[in-house]
Amino acid sequence: MALLSFIARRLLQLIPTLAFILVVIFVLVRLLPGDPASAILGDRARDADVVRINAELGLDQPLPVQFLVFVKNIATGDFGNSIHLKVSVASLIADRLPVTLMLTIMAALIALVLSVPLAFVAATRRGRLADNAIRGSFQVGLSMPVFYVGLILLTVFGAQLHWFPVGGFGNGFFDQLYHLFLPALTLALSLAAILMRNLRAAIIGVVDAEYVDFARAKGLRSRVIMTRHVLRNALISTINLFGLQVGTLLGGAVITETVFAIPGAGRLMIESIYGRDYPVVQGLTLALAVVVSLTFLLTDILQAWLDPRVAQ
Amino acid sequence: MRNLVTAALTAALLAGSASAALSVERGGVLHYGRYADSLFLDPVLNDANVDIWILSNLYDTLILPTDDGKGLEPGLATEWTVADDGLSVDLTLRKGAMFSDGSPITVDDVIWSLKRAANPDNGIWNFLLGSVEDVVAKGDDGITIKLKHTDPAILPALTVFNTAIMPKKQFEAAEGDTDAEKAKAFAEHPVGSGPFVLKSWQRGSTMTLVKNEHYWDKGEDGKPLPYLDGIEFDLLPDDATRILKLQSGEIDGAELIPYARVEELKNAEGIDMELFPSTRVANVIMNVRPQVDGKDNPLSNEKVRQGMNYAANKQAIIQIVTHGVGTPMSSYMSSATPLHTGEGAVYPYDLEKAKALMKEAGYEDGFSTSILILAGSQDEIGSATALQQMWAQIGIKLELQQVDNATRTQKYRDGEFTMRAGAWTDDIADPNEITSYYVYSPNIDAVHSGWKSEKADALFEASQKEVDQKKRAEQYAEIQKIYNATGPIIPLYETPYPVALRDKVHGFLQIPLGNNVFRAAWMDKQ
Repeated sequence: MALLSFIARRLLQLIPTLAFILVVIFVLVRLLPGDPASAILGDRARDADVVRINAELGLDQPLPVQFLVFVKNIATGDFGNSIHLKVSVASLIADRLPVTLMLTIMAALIALVLSVPLAFVAATRRGRLADNAIRGSFQVGLSMPVFYVGLILLTVFGAQLHWFPVGGFGNGFFDQLYHLFLPALTLALSLAAILMRNLRAAIIGVVDAEYVDFARAKGLRSRVIMTRHVLRNALISTINLFGLQVGTLLGGAVITETVFAIPGAGRLMIESIYGRDYPVVQGLTLALAVVVSLTFLLTDILQAWLDPRVAQ
Repeated sequence: MRNLVTAALTAALLAGSASAALSVERGGVLHYGRYADSLFLDPVLNDANVDIWILSNLYDTLILPTDDGKGLEPGLATEWTVADDGLSVDLTLRKGAMFSDGSPITVDDVIWSLKRAANPDNGIWNFLLGSVEDVVAKGDDGITIKLKHTDPAILPALTVFNTAIMPKKQFEAAEGDTDAEKAKAFAEHPVGSGPFVLKSWQRGSTMTLVKNEHYWDKGEDGKPLPYLDGIEFDLLPDDATRILKLQSGEIDGAELIPYARVEELKNAEGIDMELFPSTRVANVIMNVRPQVDGKDNPLSNEKVRQGMNYAANKQAIIQIVTHGVGTPMSSYMSSATPLHTGEGAVYPYDLEKAKALMKEAGYEDGFSTSILILAGSQDEIGSATALQQMWAQIGIKLELQQVDNATRTQKYRDGEFTMRAGAWTDDIADPNEITSYYVYSPNIDAVHSGWKSEKADALFEASQKEVDQKKRAEQYAEIQKIYNATGPIIPLYETPYPVALRDKVHGFLQIPLGNNVFRAAWMDKQ
C-alpha cells in the first residue's frame, strides 16, 4: 500500500515538472539567435522571404500570444507541424522516439549483462589478476569517445568481418535488432564501465558488513549470502546511478545515431535545434522529459522494492 | 617503334572503351549514400540544396542543362525560338510525353506550372522568372512566354528545377485549400515526368525511387531510359560511416567525400573517386561599412582588403583545407559559370605588397578583427586558422568565432559581423544569380557586406536585359574587374563535387549546378 501511494504521489509530481519544462523550452528555443527562415534559407535569405515565412508560421505574433496558441494546441493534443519537414510533430515523434528507446533499452541491457557478473568477479577477486584485467579494460572503454568506439566497431565488425551491417536501421523487428546491436554496444560500453566500478565498490563494502558475517556464522551457503544479502544491498546504489545515467544514455544516442545512421529522436533533435524547428524541439523535449521522468520513477520503485524504507 | 606500340595500345584501349560504352546493362537498384535527407519535394516551394539536387530525377523541365552545365538540350520542349525583339519565346512541346501516372502532358499543365513558378507569392526562386509577363498557348502543342523586357537568361531559367512541369489536375486535386497546403500533400506522392518516381520515403533514413515507365527519352540500346530499376537514397550523415558503407559494398555511391579522404579513395580498389566540375566557390565575406558595433571599421578601406587578399596564401589554404583538390579562384564566380573572366589567382600571394598596402592605408601595425565560422565545419575552421596565421604577419589579430548556421545568418543579415566564411553554388547556368547576390547592392546589400558600386549596379541592370551576347560578356567582364579589385570578399578556392562510386557504376553525373543525374546511370551485373 505504501508503495502504491508512493507511485501516485510521484505521478502527481510529474505534472508541474512537465509544465515547467514546457515553459522553459518554449522560451529557450526562441532565445537562440536566428529564426526558422534564416536557418533554412541560409546565406540567400532575403528580407522579404524571411518576413513572409515568419508570418506564415505565426512567428510575427508577440511571444505571449504565441505561447497561448501553443498551450491551447497542446491541450488538444496538437503539437503542430514541423517547419522544415512539413509533417506533424506527433507523427515524427511516433516514428523516431521508439527507435531511440529501442537503442537505449538494448544498450542498458547490454550494460547490465556486462557489468553485473563482472563486478561480482572483480569484487570477489579483489586485487587479483581478474580484478585488474576487468577494471583495466573497462577503463579503456570509458575513456574512449563514443564516436570513436562506434567507428572502430563499424570498421572491424561491419566493413571487415561483415558480421553486422555498416550502419542503417533495417526493416522488421529482428532486422532492426540486428542493425542496432553495434550502436547499442557502443553506447553500453561506457555505461557498463561506470556501473561495474560502482557495483564492485558497493559489493566490497557490503561483503565486509557485520550482517554478512552474521549470515555466514549462521552457516548459510555462500551463494545464498551473495544473492540475497550482498547483491540485493549492493544493487541499491547502482540502480540509483543507473536511473541517473539514462539521461546521459539518451544524450549519447545523439552521437551514436549519427555515426550509425539510425533515424532516431536524438538526431532529429539536433537537426531541429540547428534548423530552429520550434514545434519539433518543443514536442520532442516534452516526450523525452516524460521518458526520463518515467525512468526515474521506475528506478525509485525498484529501490523501494529492494529497500522498503525508501517508500516511507 | 615505341610510338607505334603506344599507338597500337591506344587504339586497343579506345576500341575496348568503345565496346564497353555499347554494352550498357539494364536493371538493378543503385544505393546512394547522402549526407542529409531531403526536406520538401516541391519544385517551386523548396529552399534547400538537399531537395534541389535530386529534384530533376522526379520532375522534368522544358529544357535540360547539358552535361557541362553551360549549354541547353531539349527536354519536354523539342524546339524553342526567341523572337527578334527578344520579348517572347515560343516553345514546341514534345509529342506523346506523359507524366509518371500515364496521363499526357498538356499545354495547360505547362502554362499552369510556369505561372506558378513565376508567381512572386510562391517560394524564393520566382526571381529567376522575374521577366515573365504571361504564358499563353500557341496551337495545340506549343506555348509562348511573353516577357516584360528582354531577358538573356530566360532559356537557362527554363532548365532550373523551379520551372519543372507538374500535372495541374493532380496537384489541384490534392488535399488543402492553399497552394502551400496542396503542395505539401502533393509532394508526399509526387507525380512528375522525370526518369524516376518516388516510391517510399522513411524520413531520416531512406528514400526509394523507382523507374518511371513513361519516361520519354531513349537509351543507347534504343529502349526507354532510365537503365536502372530504381535508386535508394540512404541517409548516412557521418562521413566516415558513409565511406565505410561504400567500401563494404553495401552502397554503390557516396556523395560529399571529405577532401582529406579523396587521395585514399582514388587509390582504393573497386572504387571510382570522381571529382565532378562544379560552380562551388568558397570565400570570406567582409563587412565594409564605415562603422561596425559603433567602432571604426578598417575593413571599409579598400587598400586594407587588398592587403589582406595579398597576404592570404590561397595555394597553401588549398593544400591545407582541400588537400590539393581545390583550385584558386580567378574571379568571384566559379570558372564553370558562363561569362566568367580572369586567369590565375585574383590576388597571388605577395607579402611585401600586402605590407605596403597596409602601410598606405595607415594600418602598418595592424588591428584586431574576427570571423564567424560554422561550428564543427572542418573546412571553415581550417581556412580561418590558416588565415589567422597568415594575417598575423601583417599585424592583424584574427579571432575565430564558431556559431551555428541560424545564428550566423541572423548576425549576417543584421550586419553584425566583421567577417564570415561563405560559399556559393549556382542554380542556373548564367552569371546573373551569383552576381545579384554578391555584387548588385539593391538585392541583399552585396552579400550583406554593405559594399556598393553604382557602376557595377548599373552594369548589372543593363546586362539583365542585354540580348547581344557579346555586349553582355563585356558588361560581365567589367563587373568582374570592378568587384575583384575593390569588392568585399577574399576569394579562397573552387572545389569540384567529390563523389565516390563502386566501379560497377557507370553514367552517373553531378553537373556543375549540383544536380545528381541518374537518368543514364547503369551498373554492371555481377
